[in-house]
Amino acid sequence: MPPYDDWNKIDEEEEEELQDASFFEGKKDVILFCIDCSESMLELRDDPNYEDVKTCHLFTALEAAMQIQKRKIIVGPNDSVGILLFNTTRKSENGRTEVSELKRNTFILQPITPLSAPKVQELIQLLDAARENPDELKQTFPPLIGKRVPTGDVFTSCNWVLRDGAPKTATKRVFLITDEDDPHSGPGRKQLITSARTTLDDLVQAGVSVEPFFISTEGKPFDVAKFYSHTLLPTNLEEEEALADNSSVLPETISIARIEDLLSQMRIHEVPKRALFSVPFQLADGFTIGVKGYGLVTEQKKGSYKYFVDLGDRMEVATSRTVYIDEDRQADVDKTKIVYGAGQGVTTTADDEEDDSNLGFGVKTTKPGQRPFYSAEEIRSFRTLGLEPGIKLLGFKDREELRFEDNVKHSQFIYPDEMSFSGSKRTFNALLKSMASKNKVALALTLVRRNATPVFCALLPQDEHLDENGFLEPPGIHLIPLPFADDIRAAPIEEAFRASDDLKDAARAWIDKLSVKNGTYPPDSYPNPALAYHNAQLQASAFREEFDPDSFEDLTEPNIGKIHKRAGSLMKEWKLALINDDTANVVIPTTGSKRKADVSVDEAEIRSKYEAGVLGKLRVDQLKDFLKAKSQPVSGKKADLIERVAAWLDSH
Amino acid sequence: MTHLEYALRFVKLKVQEMIFNGRKTDQCGVITFGSEETDNIVNDKNGGYDNVEEYIAIGQPNGDTLSKIDDLRPSTVAGDAIDGLIVGIETQAEYLSTKKTWTRKIVLLTNAECPIEVEDWEAIVKKMNALDISLTIVGIDFDDEELPFTEPNKTVHKTANESFYHQLTSGLKSGIVGNCTFALQEIAKPDIKPVRSTLMGTVLRLGDVETSAEEAVEILVKTSKCTALTRPKSWKKYALREDDAGQAMLIDDTKNDPKVVYTPLKMQTEYYVDRSSEEDKDGDVKMEDDETNLLDGDVKPKDQEGKKEDNLEKVEKEELVRGFKYGTTYTPCPDGQFPRLHTTKGIDICGFFPAKRFRRELSMGEVQYIWADPTSPQQQVALSSVVQALYEKGAVAIARWVSKDEMDPKMGVLFPEVFDKVECLLWVQMPFADDVRRYTFASLDNLVSKTGEQITKHPYIPTEIQLDAMDNFVDAMDLMTAGEKDEEGNRTPWFNPADSYNPSIHRTKQAMFHCAVVPDITTNPLPPPHPDLLKYFNPPKKVLKRAKGAAEECKEVFKVKEVPKRVAKAGAKGVKKGHDHALEDDDMLLLDRKREVDSKAGLKAAGSLMDVDSAQPLELVSVSPAKEKGKGKAADQEGSDTEDEDEDEFVAVSLPAENEELLLTRKDPAAGVKTPKPSSHRGAAPLPTPARSVSPQIDPGRAPGRIIGSTYPLKDFEKNLVQGDVVTKAVEDLCEVVVEIVLRPFASRRSGEMIECLKVLRDTCLKEDEIDAWNAFLPNLKEKCLQKPGNPEFWDEVKALGRDISLISNKEARKYGGAASVSERRAEEFVA
Repeated sequence: MPPYDDWNKIDEEEEEELQDASFFEGKKDVILFCIDCSESMLELRDDPNYEDVKTCHLFTALEAAMQIQKRKIIVGPNDSVGILLFNTTRKSENGRTEVSELKRNTFILQPITPLSAPKVQELIQLLDAARENPDELKQTFPPLIGKRVPTGDVFTSCNWVLRDGAPKTATKRVFLITDEDDPHSGPGRKQLITSARTTLDDLVQAGVSVEPFFISTEGKPFDVAKFYSHTLLPTNLEEEEALADNSSVLPETISIARIEDLLSQMRIHEVPKRALFSVPFQLADGFTIGVKGYGLVTEQKKGSYKYFVDLGDRMEVATSRTVYIDEDRQADVDKTKIVYGAGQGVTTTADDEEDDSNLGFGVKTTKPGQRPFYSAEEIRSFRTLGLEPGIKLLGFKDREELRFEDNVKHSQFIYPDEMSFSGSKRTFNALLKSMASKNKVALALTLVRRNATPVFCALLPQDEHLDENGFLEPPGIHLIPLPFADDIRAAPIEEAFRASDDLKDAARAWIDKLSVKNGTYPPDSYPNPALAYHNAQLQASAFREEFDPDSFEDLTEPNIGKIHKRAGSLMKEWKLALINDDTANVVIPTTGSKRKADVSVDEAEIRSKYEAGVLGKLRVDQLKDFLKAKSQPVSGKKADLIERVAAWLDSH
Repeated sequence: MTHLEYALRFVKLKVQEMIFNGRKTDQCGVITFGSEETDNIVNDKNGGYDNVEEYIAIGQPNGDTLSKIDDLRPSTVAGDAIDGLIVGIETQAEYLSTKKTWTRKIVLLTNAECPIEVEDWEAIVKKMNALDISLTIVGIDFDDEELPFTEPNKTVHKTANESFYHQLTSGLKSGIVGNCTFALQEIAKPDIKPVRSTLMGTVLRLGDVETSAEEAVEILVKTSKCTALTRPKSWKKYALREDDAGQAMLIDDTKNDPKVVYTPLKMQTEYYVDRSSEEDKDGDVKMEDDETNLLDGDVKPKDQEGKKEDNLEKVEKEELVRGFKYGTTYTPCPDGQFPRLHTTKGIDICGFFPAKRFRRELSMGEVQYIWADPTSPQQQVALSSVVQALYEKGAVAIARWVSKDEMDPKMGVLFPEVFDKVECLLWVQMPFADDVRRYTFASLDNLVSKTGEQITKHPYIPTEIQLDAMDNFVDAMDLMTAGEKDEEGNRTPWFNPADSYNPSIHRTKQAMFHCAVVPDITTNPLPPPHPDLLKYFNPPKKVLKRAKGAAEECKEVFKVKEVPKRVAKAGAKGVKKGHDHALEDDDMLLLDRKREVDSKAGLKAAGSLMDVDSAQPLELVSVSPAKEKGKGKAADQEGSDTEDEDEDEFVAVSLPAENEELLLTRKDPAAGVKTPKPSSHRGAAPLPTPARSVSPQIDPGRAPGRIIGSTYPLKDFEKNLVQGDVVTKAVEDLCEVVVEIVLRPFASRRSGEMIECLKVLRDTCLKEDEIDAWNAFLPNLKEKCLQKPGNPEFWDEVKALGRDISLISNKEARKYGGAASVSERRAEEFVA
């Protein structure tokens, strides 16, 4: 991670790169967990993971909420979270003036506030207590017996809680967790459904979206059609639009999960879906549709540290501001007055410049009225070549034309936007189908932001289908930026010794053993270990706990045991074949006459010296040559080098 | 322009190129012949060689070199080019006497009008060949067949000189004569300096080399970059030096020739802390969005800046301590990072899978080559066997790469690459679990009605006709044979990354060179970009011609229509709160289109709906209201900047029968209710999305220009708040509406509602920093109520609420990070 100052010094050119991330960081996200606290949610069940441990749905839901809080606190330290329970008789404490009086039988466990370590710990303590005493939750949050809170009241409470606590520009979401598929089966059903709809509508109007997580068990399957599809889905078109516009509940976002999957379901929704850009996609002259772009793959980096000021009672983050100054005069320059020019190169030695030196280096003098530099707007037009944001189709090519090595950065994903061009969906869909069936990729010139640079992209279609894990791969097109000629480096090595077929076959043997037939690269199996290690320490520090490095498990390390078990003997055979290969004894003649006298000593000699314990007799350059040949670092003093040589010989 | 100036343009471009590249080993000097002065080493030693001046000594050039070249003026004397050349050879030879390996180049610029002494030229050739000097003669108005150019009425001198130069260069090992115009053209071509990547040593491993060494695979490899993202060079920032009055500062040169000064700027980071507030405000380190502001010419209103800065206090960097934020919790971390994960350098293979299952879209970054150690044949065959086996099998490897001990690991894929005489692996980084976002998108095919039935006919689903049209279009736009012919006469695909220049890099470079060599870019504007930069900006003409019919067909059958965007708000005030890159962009887009929208908005949209309707009579076009509403809502979306929301479209659609009916009922309000709103007001007031409880027919009672109506003021108000950025306007309007309603006859019927409005209004003012508005509004309300005919009863009701409804005091305001000029006591007394 670069030090903060470097990170801070973003030139406008690089800013584009950072925008991906800052775009997400700039926005706050608010989640209100709205958890059913009914009898069935509190009913004790056997823990699926541990024997003789009792748990309940509420516990799992709270634990999931805690886990999400822990994740969010790192990903978005400015986000806010709250927890609301319903179907409990517990009353909100008086004296909370901030929170409006809630509807009966709803209880606010945590009001919407920015995330903090104490807030997470509070929840952890509650969970710990519940783990020790399975009845703890039931006692703390006594369920409403025999009846249920009208769903409308739940939505109303959510609305109030969010209104009180959420910043208005944030994205606001309610994670609704319940196992009751038909809360209002009794009398007054019709009216209750109507009120639920009305209140949901109010919620949606307030910019809140509801993402339901329904718990389904064998004994109590969850049938969405009973109640929720009527309530959450619109009944007529008029409402359909209202909701469509406001991203309310969608059929595909209703997750019905086993309780064990609750957390993983929530993880998918952890980050609110946000478009990175919305641009026209021109297929031909006068034939343009609208698309929105999303970042489905973006490197998640460690957070950067911030500078704090000790104000005695608290630590306050210092706001940083970049100013441009005229160094000789030590004066700030108004940003609107900055002009842009080429760099002046290196400073000449002081003595050979006479007249300009009193003005300072790099100063440019010109006649009044002449304009030697460009304005910011001109600079931008040089970068964009006057293009407006958009994607412009250039044609189609075979899929094979998109080569492995033609990559410089991560892809983006586009999906039609009916809101900017009506008919985008059908056109996009037809394009997608046509490209997929013909096995084609498209080539396009793209400029996704006003201050970005134009790039050529390959458009790779993705049909909708279910992946191995049952996730729906969404329909859309991947936008893969292609390298320019400027970005491509030639192969530095043109010729080398090649393996015989026998040796190749020996290698093939263990490759076959270690291949997963229908495998692919599984991103989900590889959480970033360095990031996790960092976050674990950050959390420990925030919780004032000791961090135990030994408890950390790096899931990206290859499974060595399994590799040896499956292919160890084959690898050994290959190694033997390699040693017996003719080329083993070929020495490449050193080319070039300018080389200094050959000082290198061969490995056998070094080994014998090592065994005799007289490695110290070798010279530093000999040690270095050896280490270099073994791709080992050559830094450090002689003692370090000897140690490293010894270590290498030890292990080989 | 004089010939000298023209020639110097070439010189300056060459010098600028050296400055641009910034290499210590790129040096140059300037020798003038035909100068007034005589100052050169040959003259110093032996005399002669008059009017030849070593104008700029050899060295690494910089900005001063250029300005010095600019100072050259035509002289009154003639000079001998050959004298100049000889001085050049000698000066260079002396400078390089200890630098034997340097490449020597001499560029001679002349218009060849002056007589030259040509005897002994063979000796010069011999000397230059001995020193391995390459000579380029750039002649002004020299004849050039390639250009083509022939100078009319060429002087006898020049003709003789030109042919002599050709004779001279033909004798050299490396010599060339060229026309200056041609040379300038060549220099403008984009060129790419091949970068040789360094080879970095590492180890490719499989298995446990520590405990099962006899089984573990270990190959010594070198890695080098295969692709590396190159960016346009960054610009240096300058500012005109001004005096206190803001006028350009003039300096007087000795020649009594006033000049203005542009001075280079340094960047500095300053730190500020807000000591005053008790509340934890935003709490985050904010980067000033200078770039965005600059580009949009959007200077923040002064008052806002001022307000923000009032509480800020500058702190020295030394006072600061490093730490992380864990939510709102401070976590100290003086080192700036925690101990790192222990890792060992090397590339570890984790497993293999079929190459065809590789998901190309997951590739995350630059590609690396992995070569076997070039000094070890054994290692070469080892890697070769692995690459060949993978290639034969059609498999790739998953691997974990640690570039240095203790560096963060990366996951990626190793791909076999077989060249003519060598094999290697290619590496690309793949995402970790943390790097992948699984957003949900509505299915494009699978539309389900509310009753769970599959819908097969819908405007979102392309028809057979449409699919066919698209198929034809895709075929017609095929590029596989649209490129140049190869050696065997076969057509190649059009476009190859290896031929595509990055237009930004080369255009920026061109602009930099241009401003370095011309004194004034207003009178000497930058020429258009080189055509090579734009060669892939449009599909090949041939293909466009071929696809014309298919494209027309597509236009015909798909009937895509732009949905006019509505402007969220007009006032600049509104923008002030939601600063965000994307938002900014969107705003720009919106504003760009505003005019068009304003004029055409209502009717055009209605027209386009009709089109769709009539075009597809068979499909009950349920999308039309969607569009209607989409139009209405698009603005809100952008405004509230919840980008995600409108994306999630509805796939559920009612059955056709029901549909038709609804369509009819829906058309009513769409057509009837105030669709042709006054344009000024259009942006501010979204069509009321009829809440369930509100019948769409009801007039919201909004006066022109207001976003809050008198019918449902609170609802209007809250809706606008959600939208987010029209707070000031909403507050202002609600204030007016409340006063209006309160003073109407029979106002008592709505007094409860008005009290509710006041509560919400006050709360909003407090939290949204509209405190002054409240504190101005309340006395006004009081006054109006107590006047005649007023509504004293209403004021009594207000007063009954006590302190909680009164003026907002400074103490209260501070809790929310605001400020007020009202004291706590006055607030209490006001409602007493």
